[in-house]
Amino acid sequence: MHREAAIREPLVLGDDVTYSKITEDVLHSIEHGPTKMWKILMTIATIVALWGIGSILYLLGTGIGTWGLNNTMGWAWDITNFVWWVGIGHAGTLISAVLLLFRQKWRMAINRPAEAMTIFAVFMAGMFPMIHMGRIWMAYWVLPLPNQFGSLWVNFNSPLLWDVFAISTYLSVSLVFWYIGLIPDFATIRDRAKKPVPKLMYSLLSFGWTGNAKAWQRFEEVSLVLAGLATPLVFSVHSIVSMDFATSIVPGWHSTIFPPYFVAGAVFSGFAMVQTLMLIARKAMRLEYIITVKHIEYMNIVIIVTGGIVGIAYITEFFIGWYTGVQYESYVYMSAGAATGPYAWAFWSLIFCNFINPAFLWFKKIRTNLTATFIIALIINIGMWFERFDIIVTCLSRDYLPSTWRMFFPTWVDLGVYIGTLGLFSVFYLLFLKYFPVLALNEVKTILKSSGERYKNMSDEEFKALHPVLKKDIK
Amino acid sequence: MANSKKYWKGLEQLNETPQFLEENSKEFAEEIPVDEFLGDKESLDDTSTTRRDFLKFLGFGVAAASLAACETPITKAIPYLNKPEEIVPGVANYYASTYYDGHDYASILVKTREGRPIFITGNTESTLTKGAVNARINSSVLSLYDNNRLKAPMMGGKNTDWNSLDKAIMKDLAGAKNVRVLTSSIISPSALKAMRELTPVAEQTEEGLAVDMSKIISYDAISYSGMLDANMESFGRQTIPSYNFEKAKIIVSVGADFMGNWLDTQMYIKDYAEARKPDNKWMSKHFQFEANMSLSGTNADVRTPIKPSQYGLVLAVLLNNVGGVGTKSTGDKKLDHQIAEAAKALKASKGESIVISGSNDKATQVIVNAINNQLGNYGKTVDLNKYSKTKQGVDSQVAALVADMEAGKVDMLFINGVDPVFTMGDSFKKALAKVKSTVCFATKMNDTAAACKYVAATNHQLESWSDAEPVKGHFSLGQPTISSLFDTRQAEESMLVWAGVDSSYDDYIKKYWEENIFTQQTKNLFFNDFWNKTLHDGVFDAPTLVVDEMMTFNGNVSKDVAAVSKKSKDTEFEIELNQNMAVGAGAGADNPWLQEMPDPMTKITWENYVTMNPAEMEEKGYNTQFGQREAMQVVNVTVNGKTVEGLPVVPQPGQAKGTVGLALGYGKKVGNQEEISGQNAYPLVASTKSGVSYYGNVTITDVDVADYYVACTQVHQTIMGRDSIIRETTLDVYKKGNKKEYNPAHVLVDHEGGKQVENPLKKYDLWGDQPVEVIGHRWGMSIDLNACTGCSACVTSCNSENNIAVIGKDEVRRARSMHWMRIDRYYASNHQDAGDIAGTLDKTKEAEGVGTTFGYQAMEHPADNPLVVHQPMMCQHCNHAGCETVCPVAATTHSNEGLNMMAYNRCIGTRYCANNCAYKVRRFNWYNYIAYKKFTDFNPSQDDLGRMVLNPDVVVRSRGVMEKCSMCVQRIQEGKLDAKKAGAKVVDGAIQTACSSACPTDAITFGDINDTESAVRAGVDHDRSYRVIEEKGQEPNIYYQTKVRNLKSSKVKSEAHH
Repeated sequence: MHREAAIREPLVLGDDVTYSKITEDVLHSIEHGPTKMWKILMTIATIVALWGIGSILYLLGTGIGTWGLNNTMGWAWDITNFVWWVGIGHAGTLISAVLLLFRQKWRMAINRPAEAMTIFAVFMAGMFPMIHMGRIWMAYWVLPLPNQFGSLWVNFNSPLLWDVFAISTYLSVSLVFWYIGLIPDFATIRDRAKKPVPKLMYSLLSFGWTGNAKAWQRFEEVSLVLAGLATPLVFSVHSIVSMDFATSIVPGWHSTIFPPYFVAGAVFSGFAMVQTLMLIARKAMRLEYIITVKHIEYMNIVIIVTGGIVGIAYITEFFIGWYTGVQYESYVYMSAGAATGPYAWAFWSLIFCNFINPAFLWFKKIRTNLTATFIIALIINIGMWFERFDIIVTCLSRDYLPSTWRMFFPTWVDLGVYIGTLGLFSVFYLLFLKYFPVLALNEVKTILKSSGERYKNMSDEEFKALHPVLKKDIK
Repeated sequence: MANSKKYWKGLEQLNETPQFLEENSKEFAEEIPVDEFLGDKESLDDTSTTRRDFLKFLGFGVAAASLAACETPITKAIPYLNKPEEIVPGVANYYASTYYDGHDYASILVKTREGRPIFITGNTESTLTKGAVNARINSSVLSLYDNNRLKAPMMGGKNTDWNSLDKAIMKDLAGAKNVRVLTSSIISPSALKAMRELTPVAEQTEEGLAVDMSKIISYDAISYSGMLDANMESFGRQTIPSYNFEKAKIIVSVGADFMGNWLDTQMYIKDYAEARKPDNKWMSKHFQFEANMSLSGTNADVRTPIKPSQYGLVLAVLLNNVGGVGTKSTGDKKLDHQIAEAAKALKASKGESIVISGSNDKATQVIVNAINNQLGNYGKTVDLNKYSKTKQGVDSQVAALVADMEAGKVDMLFINGVDPVFTMGDSFKKALAKVKSTVCFATKMNDTAAACKYVAATNHQLESWSDAEPVKGHFSLGQPTISSLFDTRQAEESMLVWAGVDSSYDDYIKKYWEENIFTQQTKNLFFNDFWNKTLHDGVFDAPTLVVDEMMTFNGNVSKDVAAVSKKSKDTEFEIELNQNMAVGAGAGADNPWLQEMPDPMTKITWENYVTMNPAEMEEKGYNTQFGQREAMQVVNVTVNGKTVEGLPVVPQPGQAKGTVGLALGYGKKVGNQEEISGQNAYPLVASTKSGVSYYGNVTITDVDVADYYVACTQVHQTIMGRDSIIRETTLDVYKKGNKKEYNPAHVLVDHEGGKQVENPLKKYDLWGDQPVEVIGHRWGMSIDLNACTGCSACVTSCNSENNIAVIGKDEVRRARSMHWMRIDRYYASNHQDAGDIAGTLDKTKEAEGVGTTFGYQAMEHPADNPLVVHQPMMCQHCNHAGCETVCPVAATTHSNEGLNMMAYNRCIGTRYCANNCAYKVRRFNWYNYIAYKKFTDFNPSQDDLGRMVLNPDVVVRSRGVMEKCSMCVQRIQEGKLDAKKAGAKVVDGAIQTACSSACPTDAITFGDINDTESAVRAGVDHDRSYRVIEEKGQEPNIYYQTKVRNLKSSKVKSEAHH
């Protein structure tokens, strides 16, 4: 009896996909002038970024007082944005490193843009701890530099210091990882470039990549080593960011479940952001056959899993708030902002965006629907911002002494800085789309499969027309 | 083997041809035409700009630009040519002096540094004020450096010099037949004498105030005329008695805020606190009947809200209840019951009680006299022989003067120490215009000075000599601590000049003292010794001057009882005009420290407002929530046809229903910058034939003003059942002596061997190995919640000592107040049962709500007539501080003496420490307060004169750094060094923090906790001692003592107290 092994569906779709087509499609934006759409988006992004830069300059020139913070609330939007951006910067490394270790080849279609997003998001994130300082000109004091100020040294007890190390390590490893992956693709561009300036630029960027077998072997080895290095970082960065809160004594912050809860939340938000950006990019750049619905679905599944963890974390927090009987903590969950307090609107936004909204992805029909995915991912992005806002602002606003309870109201500078980072991020991302190979094209080529499936489904006549000599059925 | 190999570059080198040798010696093979280039002048001139020129220009340009950019600041340091003996740079001098502004009296100690007065504290040598000062007194040092002060005398609205002014005034004086002086109450015997020289009358008697009054008219901005008149009627003495609160077991106050602004608070407050110590044999019980929630009301054991129109009636019923002939009933059963309970307590403490009333109505005050007489308090707790002189203004005399002025009978009027155009309004201004020649003594331009012909710019008190006899037989001296900053002259000096007395005022005082006061003592043989000693001590008691006279009450109260029992017209609202702790009668209106000091009750800064019961506000649809974005309803307030416009209405739990309150003294627009906010409420003071009244029927009209915000430092009012922050109990529970009942230790429930056990917190201490607590000094504080009245003198004292920035209304509204020291005020959310005088204080009722959403919601609202707690809150100097571990750069660290230290230089401003501070006492420099334009108009540190008040021992913080209470580390350091120099240990009490030295009730004790003999240690070891949020294990060095109310617990079975 004839038995045929089920063939895995190819990751790159389409019958007529050739190596050349992939190269042509991926490099199309680099080798042709910018489109009108790109120009419009770039203009908008630049204006928004400039607004943000203006806000930051005003902030630095005048003082932190231009934000809406107060004696009770030392942090609000600044650290909310910081944690939000760091969270977004989680998907890239997870996709490239963890999925590489697990040999998930579908990552190849999406790792490049995801990593780019990671890098830019970490840039944005890293900016907030800097500008939120009262005296940014002394920012270098957080580095353990030998100095002549006396026996001054950093305080290794402080989670903020751990942050400095965690973020900088994460950024540098991610950057190296991303760049190593870019080298063969830069070389391809270099080889195809006709004009001298681009040729020179890409020659420099590609570090003299020759593409020989030894180079590829080393490339694979380095990738694997870096993936091994980067994987723990995926978990460490947000664990450490969460310790800014978990090691403090603020009711609602002081919680042992924060590290896993934050990591899950970060992956959750990172994938949502990848979805948001990728769905636009694949459409605009006509790469639907490489970034397929399958990829979207896989990512949605990751969202379901991490979203589930986050949901359990919410429930656990409430339970513990009630169970411990610590009145400060129970007040935070029972009354301060959650459900009934002055920040109830933020709480319910969070519940809707992060708890109810991703639940729709359990339906296959929805998670394979691009529009639905886009909307859900967008809402998750908003929801994750609210989550951080809730943790930081709600808990701080009503902590131990009722006499100090206050509300936080953002100013136009708060808004300007936040929107500005969105603009700046977009500028970076648009530049990336235009001048960098948006997909790991050389890696994608390795998963370009041909199978007999196509021939199997052909009628005899068609087959004969294609191959007059061969017989379709060997049997 | 020697290496003889030779390498050569070419055959030329090998052969060493002459040509090669020559060429080899040159650096360049080709000749460089240097001479041609430089030597040829023409070609040089041809090139318009050479490379060198370019570099020259560039160099010059860069140098010029950088020179222009960084202008070298010129700072002048002028050394003493002859160093004054008493001034050592860096060492403070203290001078005893006297503060009296017509409203507050205190004997004070002025701290000067390098000749600048910078800090005022109470003089503990005084047997009268015993070191008590209030916020206005210790803030008055800032007014010395007010840039809006008059800098020269003025004539006809223009600056002039003293010679011309003296000539002009003396000419007017010579031509004037009827000369009058309108002055604040004169307690200075020398000043009174000087005034008499100015306005000589035929007969002068020492005691005959009434005689002088024809020429010298005393006027108090806040009138106590009703009392003066009542005492005239009852005892034939137009004086105000002094009270002895130390001996009063029962205190009943009907609308008198004697702990805040009524009469001589500074003389009462220490005695009151002494009698409120629960560890003593007895603790006084304080009943307060009032409309507004006053400071006294918040401290009372039993407070009953009543309308101002009921004050007389309540007293009449009280009189009836203590055995006099009064009124039977108020018509309100509950109120009758409250009065009966108060009366019962009074009767049980005859001769050991005080009944007072804040009313300015003579009939009401006669009834008060009758009650005190009935209780036998005269001569015991109420002393008319040792009468107080601080309030002498009689309304009828002032009215007579205004009438005379109006009629054109007054030729010349001197106005001293008062601002009657501001306080009396247009009626006085019109009358003033009819006086030919008017002279106003003023330190600052004000409404009256602006309307006067001559303005004699006077010294600030700290630039003046003075003497005082605030209470009969008690004297104090005031000395200048700095020479006049401007071209000013103290009022008495001017009077002497104009009266033609050829003497300086200090000599004049000396002479008076030599003649009159020196003779009252025998200790010192020579006047100089006596003078020097008195000047050093600041005070002198002359008990011989007090004539012990039996006072017989001869008032006929029946007509007074009838008068107060008349049913008043029913209106929606009655108003009670009061003074608050910051501004008083108006003295603090132009002082940024005081404007920014939160009101002890509402915690609102920078303005006055209408207070109303929250329930009634809700009925009217007004907003009752405070907050940065909570817009307040704005209203116009009309009394007797006079309207004050644009006042916000704020909720005041405990405000009697059907009444509103409003503070006087605000709104001094003339002579101040715009930021001095608030509205002048004096026009609402009703002036009738019998005198002025601060009560009246009021009409409140809504005004449509959107987005009117008040700047409130505490927007949440209740304690939310958190009894590890505030601990309170009742006297009976406390006296039972079971600590577990009133101050239980924190325990953690754990499982050991399958059983539930309760372990002390210490067992779970992560930091147990850190031995900071037992070695060397360990500075700490003990704060007695029972003694703290909430008066906020500590807040301004801390401002003054630690150079706290003033940030203005808008920033305070944004919750960025910079105060290192604040007073948290909590209202109870469970009801004080108005019908039950036994007063239930059942904490479990409140704690029931903990843990449930609805329970929490119920606790968010203060009760209608709540019990109140004031809790001073500053850095708790935790031994295991949350802030210290989280700073990434170790800018805040712990000293081995228990201080939590802040290195401003190291701070990078992450504010993580503030987030992790459970007490939220850390303050961030959101802006550059000493330079940023937003603060120019009110931060004194932004002008050269205002900066003179800065304490040179404390650094002024810059933008972007965190600051907080340092427990006055500069004083600790100074005290330690002094002890070291003396070769002795630091003596307990030698070091005082700004707050502990300012506290009029000694609620704050500072010291070394490791010193087992110290006062602070006694407080720490006390059974009532606890630490705020102790269960977090932060080990604060600030201890609090449980508040004890003189009430009966509903849980303790009453032991037949009837």
